[in-house]
Amino acid sequence: MRKVRVRTHGVEYRTVARVISLENLSAQWRPELRFLVRAADAEGITKVAQLRSAGLTNLISLTSSLHVADQWQAEPVVETGGILMDEDVVAFADHMNHAHVLYRYTDQHHTVFLTNRCNSYCLMCSQPPTKQDDSWLVNEAVEVANHIASSPHTLGFSGGEPLLLGEHLRLVLDTFAHQHPSTRYDVLSNGRLLANPIYAEHMLKGLSERVTWMVPLYGHADFLHDFVVQSPGAFEETLAGLLNLRRFGQAVQLRIVLIRPVLENLAALCEFIGRNLPFVREVALMACEPIGFALANPELTDIDLREWSAELSHGIRTLKRAKIPAILMNAPLCALPQILWPYAHKSISDWKRTFAEDCATCRVKTECAGLFSWHHPGKFSMKIQKIEGIINV
Amino acid sequence: MNANFVAGSLLPFGFHRLDDQSVVAVSAAGDHTFLTQQELLALIQTPETLELKKRAELQSKYFLTGNSSIGTLELLRSRIAARKETVLAGQSLHIIVPTLQCEHSCQYCQVSRRLEDVGHSMSPSQIDASCATIFQSQANALTIEFQGGDPLLRFDLIQRAIDLIQKMNLEHKRRIRFVVASTLHQLTSGMCEYFRSNQVYLSTSLDGPALLHNKNRPIPSRDSHARTLAGIELARSIMGPQAVAALMTTTKASLAYPEAIVDEYVKNGFTEIFMRPLSLYGFARRNIKHLGYTLPEFTNFYQKALQRVLEWNARGTELREGTAALIFNKLLSPFDAGYVDLQSPTGSGLAVLVYNYDGYVYPSDEARMLAETGDGSLRLGSIGDSLAQLMASPVMRQLIETSISTQAVGCETCAFNSFCGPDPVGAQAEFGDMRTVALLTEHCKRHKWLFEYFFRKLRTADDDFLDIAYRWAHPAGYSNA
Repeated sequence: MRKVRVRTHGVEYRTVARVISLENLSAQWRPELRFLVRAADAEGITKVAQLRSAGLTNLISLTSSLHVADQWQAEPVVETGGILMDEDVVAFADHMNHAHVLYRYTDQHHTVFLTNRCNSYCLMCSQPPTKQDDSWLVNEAVEVANHIASSPHTLGFSGGEPLLLGEHLRLVLDTFAHQHPSTRYDVLSNGRLLANPIYAEHMLKGLSERVTWMVPLYGHADFLHDFVVQSPGAFEETLAGLLNLRRFGQAVQLRIVLIRPVLENLAALCEFIGRNLPFVREVALMACEPIGFALANPELTDIDLREWSAELSHGIRTLKRAKIPAILMNAPLCALPQILWPYAHKSISDWKRTFAEDCATCRVKTECAGLFSWHHPGKFSMKIQKIEGIINV
Repeated sequence: MNANFVAGSLLPFGFHRLDDQSVVAVSAAGDHTFLTQQELLALIQTPETLELKKRAELQSKYFLTGNSSIGTLELLRSRIAARKETVLAGQSLHIIVPTLQCEHSCQYCQVSRRLEDVGHSMSPSQIDASCATIFQSQANALTIEFQGGDPLLRFDLIQRAIDLIQKMNLEHKRRIRFVVASTLHQLTSGMCEYFRSNQVYLSTSLDGPALLHNKNRPIPSRDSHARTLAGIELARSIMGPQAVAALMTTTKASLAYPEAIVDEYVKNGFTEIFMRPLSLYGFARRNIKHLGYTLPEFTNFYQKALQRVLEWNARGTELREGTAALIFNKLLSPFDAGYVDLQSPTGSGLAVLVYNYDGYVYPSDEARMLAETGDGSLRLGSIGDSLAQLMASPVMRQLIETSISTQAVGCETCAFNSFCGPDPVGAQAEFGDMRTVALLTEHCKRHKWLFEYFFRKLRTADDDFLDIAYRWAHPAGYSNA
């Protein structure tokens, strides 16, 4: 999540607000929302304070210097030297030294984080789960839905495992679908809890048709998949969940993370998908993010993708035979054989994407997904090699 | 990897021996695997000793269960249901035979009557009654096919049926496709324009080069081939390049020309060819000594023709062979292409109905041809009977009872029984009794050969062949006829 350094006072609890200029306030103001109003100088803060005393209590001043707010000690103020854009949806509080940018319209990828709890324990998890009650994230997600001014094209929900939220997940999905009916939604979920037909019906019946479920599958037999997700029974539950998703007409993207035990069986897994799950919209083959548990299991996750070209090509050819669209994510072009470049997507989120020093003179840099921002050359990282010479992409 | 998992249990499967040391095994889902003798024994006796990769494959193909199976068994059910879609989703192919008249006097033709014969056509009210029954089917997608004789000789009846069905469909809202099977000799540009505006496709017979075609399909002017090609040309110019599909029938005379027949299709711009054996119905059966050939003679011919088709594909000319396509569909695709001859219970009556010029409804094209030779025992009822009445007929009951591939004697242990089913109409034609043991029928012998032949091809296939096999296996673009 993008963070911006801030100092605040008068904001006792974590608060979600929309950044706005004074000029636009009258057009956008609504009583149930909160606004972080740009106040360039003392005059601006005075104006905000006047509006607050006139009853617009849902305003907070946003200034570049707390000094200008000295005379307004009683007023809530956010100060930052960092970049906040109009219509950003941000969360902040006095006990934080930064604001979370929960939504920025101009970003390529939008994600709402719903929980850090999970019922799987994948050995390459980029975001190892925790057990704490984080149900406040649900309320914050609803706040985000309400505070977004311009609907995004696509918005993803991630975790943890969002299905652990039960009816609260449905509340979040319904709120977003209601507030932003033109947006497409992606839910990152292992689908296991959807194995229960009653739960599945509550979650899926009448759900917006604009939702795609992004469900990981790591093997074509239980012992392969369950090993990767470190959870006995997960394979069978995910299969039953996928069938329930089909029953309720939901779109599904299968996600395959390319770690060693998965690559070793990739073609067989793709054949299994073609035979048994031909209703999925597409299959995403994803290079492993070298972070989180992946760092703890380097013998399984720290691979050089360039050495697995044959397996990758075979897997994609198998999907093609079954007429199931395939995409490659998170892999820089130099890690893939050129024949697979048409499948590669620029999938790394803007705020997470970086390039290595070597990439500066690469011929295909502008077409490339790039690297995760925590990339540093050496062990436990994506193996790359800049592309030189004439290349037609 | 940790191999410490509980051994699952064996699910039902069948196997077919390919040689001393290997078999192809097929699971209830219709997934197959090639096993050595040793692997076959291990699978049955000590699955826990199988190598992990093989074990994973066998689990993923429904030979073995894993530790629990809530998802797997549900998937298996849905796989089996998908295979039965053709016979359980309602009759999707409705054949109307408006007339038996035809200009040709083909030796192998089942049924046709000369132009001057009278009394071999439907009445307008029988057309109307047939259309009413068609919409009683539950199928979402309906193909209405006009056969003959040559149905274009009664274009007025075709038009009456299509107009009525289009009008009725404003209310019923099914996906409808029309096919007219014809020599195309009587085709006019006026007809083509009508067909173009009513989603009608044409299906014709092209037996090969002119010499062969004209020999198979004699007319007084001896120019059947040229006139059919002229009809194809006319149809394409008005209705578009994909307006016409062609089928060939293999006669004894065809056996010497596998390559020339295939080349004829390429030359005339077809992207699909369907190498069909002669069916032993109607007049063909009477002339069997003159026209017939053995299964090995046919398969020898077929292999050469298929080889030629593959050569064209390797040279970049796309050409799909229909028989191979329908077998690949069975072996490789989770979606059934709807081929009515390979269904269990039978597609006759469950997937297809024939509304015949004689006023009766038959369960398949072959059944109405049988009636022409004097065996009317397969009639389901009369045109005008409701679909429910037709389905409740004793003939329909017996068609179903004799065609369950997991129960029929000889079929229940056959490795190919997920792909196939007894053909009671064929058994009636061949032996005069639809309860004849399926193993004795031509239908069984031919299809067993085809399944085994294509499994052997798949076992040794390279990537290019597999690409073609999977492309052909997909039901899209496959015609029901």
